[in-house]
Amino acid sequence: MKRNTLVLTAVLFILAAFAWVGWANWEYRKQAAERLMASVAKGELAANPAGGAPQYLSPLKGKPAPAFALEDLSGRKVSLASYKGKAVLINFWATWCAPCKIETPWLVELRNQYAAQGFEILGVSADDIDRDDPQKLSEEKSEIARSAQQMHIPYPVLIDGATLDKAYGGLDELPTSFFVDRKGTVVAAQLGLTSKDDIETNIRQALGK
Amino acid sequence: MAGMKIQIGITALVLLMAGSPAQGQADQPGRSILKGAAVEFLFPEQVTLTAGKPTEVDLHFRIAQGLHINSHTPREDELIPTTFSIPEGSGVRLEGASYPAGEDFTLPLDPGTKLSVYTGEFTIRARIVATAGNHLVEARLRYQACDKNACMPPKTILVAIDIIGK
Repeated sequence: MKRNTLVLTAVLFILAAFAWVGWANWEYRKQAAERLMASVAKGELAANPAGGAPQYLSPLKGKPAPAFALEDLSGRKVSLASYKGKAVLINFWATWCAPCKIETPWLVELRNQYAAQGFEILGVSADDIDRDDPQKLSEEKSEIARSAQQMHIPYPVLIDGATLDKAYGGLDELPTSFFVDRKGTVVAAQLGLTSKDDIETNIRQALGK
Repeated sequence: MAGMKIQIGITALVLLMAGSPAQGQADQPGRSILKGAAVEFLFPEQVTLTAGKPTEVDLHFRIAQGLHINSHTPREDELIPTTFSIPEGSGVRLEGASYPAGEDFTLPLDPGTKLSVYTGEFTIRARIVATAGNHLVEARLRYQACDKNACMPPKTILVAIDIIGK
């Protein structure tokens, strides 16, 4: 009887040890995977179950939008934090991006339509900026400004967007947009040209409608 | 050391029991985001020419399926032209280059705008002058690639050619 109790205790102890090691290992792997995800934070395209354009699965969805403060075309620093309380569309574009030029007029219309409800767009240019050469920098800024004027962009245009590459999941393709709600959480993301309707749906989601 | 072995053994056992989550994570549906080089240099890898005499060399490139790059003469100033160059000081000088004419391309959502692009394979005829000797030239091709809905940032690839001047 005493021997049986001893064996049972030993078996229970071993099982408990296995369970603990298993849990500890799972927790370690989970944390390592989260660290890896945070360090690479890459988005991915996936097939759309409803058909049509592939869906952009951004690792930022449901998370706070990464903070930034970039210069606008007049040299003024503009931070994302200063728009807290508003729904914000962060639109990465570039002067050399033809699909961006199709999308931008839609953005301008939607911005004007929803601005009164607390919505703003930050147009973040991913054009290369040469900070070591003042003359080149001035030319590059002029080119971005000219492009923004041609498209009648009424919202802030920020430069040096390439520095947000890692924080915003790679920016491997343009246009790329992130829709941020009033609390600063990314509620949707789009990669590539989709449609004005898709953009409007995401704007409404960011506005909490 | 012994503790580490036990830990490894137990970890292996637990993994066998639980399966590997990493395998499941790798099975992502859908196409990948455009990454890497959209253009590949095909040939020639080696060229022999008369030293000091301008020689025309045809350089062949291939663009990945579904993508296009701007031609050397895009219709809009802001679009980045495809450009071939040879760095100075390599013993080989690029006197000039003839680029193929671009083909018209229209984005489905903007049928009114025609772009001048290259797709598939294209050839640049470079006029090269080399000094006598063997030169491993790291020439460059700068381009900017897009598909129907999105564009990748401009990229410069190395075009490695062994040029022998005799």
